[in-house]
Amino acid sequence: MSSLPQFLANGMVFSCIIVLGAIGLSLVYSIADFANFAHGDLMTVGAFGALVGGRYFEGAFPGADVSVFGLPVSFYLALLAGMAVGAVVAVLTERIVYRPMDAGSIELLITSIGVALSYRALVQLQFGAGRRSYDIGRGGPIDFFRETLGIGMTSRSLVIVTLTFVLVVALHLLLQYTTLGRKMRATSDNPSLAKVSGIRTENVVVAMWIIGGALAAAGGVFLGLDTIVRPRMGFDILLVVFAAVILGGIGSVYGAMLGGFVIGMTHELTPVIPLVGVEYDSAVAFILMVIILLVRPSGIMGGEAA
Amino acid sequence: MSAAATLPVVGALNSTERNVLIGLAVFFGLLFVSMLAGVIQPRYLFFLLSLAGMYVLLTMGLNVQWGYAGLINFSVAAFWGIGAYCAALVTASNSPLGLELHPVFGLVAAVVVSALVAVLIGIPTLRLREDYLAIATLGLAEVVRLLILNEEQWTNGSAGVSGIPRLFEGLPFDSVIRNFYVVLGLIVVVYLFLRRVHQSPWGRVLRTIRADEDLAEALGKDTYAFKMQAFVLGSVIMAAAGVFYVHLNLYLGPDDLEPIQTFYVWIAVILGGTGSNRGAMIGGLTVVAILEGTRFLNTAVIPAGVDVAPLRLLFVGLLIILVIRYREEGLLPPQHELVAGGVADEKGGGPDE
Amino acid sequence: MSERLEMQIDGADLDKDDPVLEVSGLKKSFGGLVATDDASLQVERATITGMIGPNGAGKSTLFNLISGFYEADEGSVTVNGTEVTGKEPHEIAREGLVRTFQTPRKLEGMTVREAMMVGPQHQTGESVLPLWLSPSSVAEEERRNLERAEELLELFEIDHLATEMATEVSGGQLKLIEMARAILSEPDVLLLDEPVAGVNPTLAKNLAGFIRELNEERDLTFLIIEHDMGFIMELADPIIVLDQGRVLMEADPETVRNDQRVIDAYLGGAE
Repeated sequence: MSSLPQFLANGMVFSCIIVLGAIGLSLVYSIADFANFAHGDLMTVGAFGALVGGRYFEGAFPGADVSVFGLPVSFYLALLAGMAVGAVVAVLTERIVYRPMDAGSIELLITSIGVALSYRALVQLQFGAGRRSYDIGRGGPIDFFRETLGIGMTSRSLVIVTLTFVLVVALHLLLQYTTLGRKMRATSDNPSLAKVSGIRTENVVVAMWIIGGALAAAGGVFLGLDTIVRPRMGFDILLVVFAAVILGGIGSVYGAMLGGFVIGMTHELTPVIPLVGVEYDSAVAFILMVIILLVRPSGIMGGEAA
Repeated sequence: MSAAATLPVVGALNSTERNVLIGLAVFFGLLFVSMLAGVIQPRYLFFLLSLAGMYVLLTMGLNVQWGYAGLINFSVAAFWGIGAYCAALVTASNSPLGLELHPVFGLVAAVVVSALVAVLIGIPTLRLREDYLAIATLGLAEVVRLLILNEEQWTNGSAGVSGIPRLFEGLPFDSVIRNFYVVLGLIVVVYLFLRRVHQSPWGRVLRTIRADEDLAEALGKDTYAFKMQAFVLGSVIMAAAGVFYVHLNLYLGPDDLEPIQTFYVWIAVILGGTGSNRGAMIGGLTVVAILEGTRFLNTAVIPAGVDVAPLRLLFVGLLIILVIRYREEGLLPPQHELVAGGVADEKGGGPDE
Repeated sequence: MSERLEMQIDGADLDKDDPVLEVSGLKKSFGGLVATDDASLQVERATITGMIGPNGAGKSTLFNLISGFYEADEGSVTVNGTEVTGKEPHEIAREGLVRTFQTPRKLEGMTVREAMMVGPQHQTGESVLPLWLSPSSVAEEERRNLERAEELLELFEIDHLATEMATEVSGGQLKLIEMARAILSEPDVLLLDEPVAGVNPTLAKNLAGFIRELNEERDLTFLIIEHDMGFIMELADPIIVLDQGRVLMEADPETVRNDQRVIDAYLGGAE
């Protein structure tokens, strides 16, 4: 079971989580112009939001435990609840903390550390420091994948990969084919120019926080579904998400997708790397990031490193 | 050595400085009274003061990086831990290395290793935008912690290192008093060192870089080299604080390298006054006040069973947000002109002239 | 150093006749947008050379390329006979080319005098060791530099600002301080990016006077980007005209003023 195809399958799942985190982080980076160190903890907030949602929806109405792709309907509702919580918390934070500051990107960066600690503290105050789960039966590997590819792929993994794909495609359509998407791209390319050319950047910024927050929350829920839900889950994964954003090129949404995929895969392929123990999976992401900084600091899809 | 140099908070005070001083006096007065009333053991009081001293050192170290040069280091706990582990592994009786050398060698090892790590992390990041260093150091902190936790054959892993010798065994004071004097001595040395390098053309270039790096480059300053120097210097001071800690605490484990330690020091720097060494002193003391204050809350006010850790976390988080928002210059911002050798003072100049 | 010496031996009195700054075939594009397109120019020693052109002509980009803040896609830059293409800004500054910025950032927490003292290059006290090994020589150097700084502040008639905080002075005064500081670094050629933008007319007139004085007395070479036509036409000779990333022409102010291409370029840019 721990063959290369199996690691690749695990890597797919983890990549999805990182991609979702990286997109939001990259959006904030390009439009709000700062490295948001609270983004990991925003993922945690989303995961706990879904935990509460899951409890609420479980058996709340007839059919809530009907299984769709191996997971109960209530889970999908909980996921939506988690994403809503992520979006609301992100927007509120922007309103209450970042927007009134009128500070440079470095001050915002340091403030975001304070925000990160506050998120985690509040989660911990409410839910304790312990580990939790979504209380969904583990469910064995799906026979189809075991027989055809020889890998263990649970329905959870399949749902994570499928839903991430749906979210990413939806974001792509939004960016390419809607007015809001065009405005977002214009603003991220050149905020001052966008402002001058009449784009209400304020609306774009709010939209960006909503999307970034919701996707981060989805990533957090998937991380919780794949492993466990705990207050430090987001902070611990932040480095990997940053590595993905830098690899993809700061500010590039598509770069973030690609970077998230590569970093997520590498992270899960650590057992295959000779001489490196599996306990160093975060270290591998870090080393990869340092190499990128040395070789091509603007990232794969980035423009000129300024 | 004038009194004003060794006790920099004394001197001409403005209202904030007075309030800060009064606040600290009240806090330490309370501690002293609690000691007299028997609530706190005198030994514990001195331990606390030594711990505060260690935070002052850490704060001065971060101040060189963030305060002078504008470098964002989220690896304070790691550099502190590197220093601490170097000292512990080189000197302790149960160290897997089995060297049991004199603490001086621990300090030397700490300085060398921390400087080396600082250079290695500086090379890929210091030529780039300032936020890359922040991200990279966040990663470095995790990697250092993982290495210490997992490389048991070198570090004892999660079991930690004990059997660490005390400092200056030969001197006829109690060990807690000795530690207090040692940290006081360290603070004075570091403070005087930093004061000279800060109020010099070197410090002036760093301040220029912090305000406008392009400008410094345009004037022929090798900003990469300056930033590297500041980063290494700050990291070495942090490592020295770690060395002191292991000889104070006599035990060291990987849990001591929790990232939250880094943010305690950040609080100390931004609260005390970015770029100000006097502020660093206040900041360092404040951190211990926060830690002990919440511990006190835990035992005295909040019913048993409530976890104080998240409250502390929330307090630190909110404090960071509020200080940056409402008082970015901190409580005691730096006030000296950076002109070396007291040249400006001789000419009677000064910001208030 | 040795390189310069060698060239002096090879090509007799290079220092006087050879251009202080030579730019050839510089190209730079951002994304698909060509900002500088095969720009070549020479700045002769001890001249006040002006650089004009409509908005978006690529003047600031060219400055950034010359001073090393942007890396050119193609072409070369030579300062004092030394090729500096691809070098970092501080290395280029050490070769004798110093620039100012269009919008200088304020130096937080520094007095004007302190901000000035960053100017001189190669200060002994900028290394940590001499601060301990020979503090007296550092102090001596500081005293000298402070004197020079104060002299320049006096020359620029802003000596009353010496102990003000650099964040408190006006934009125009900041421009003066920037220029004075750049002069403290003893450049051979000084690139000024819109020195009188946002400066009141009286101050601007004074500034022109200072530039002329420094040029005549110290043989300092200036290359000045300026939108204020009255200012630059009166001060500079020759004038280089940029348009769409290219050098359109180089001539004396009178010729430039009457050249149809220049008029067209400006009219085109105004559309």
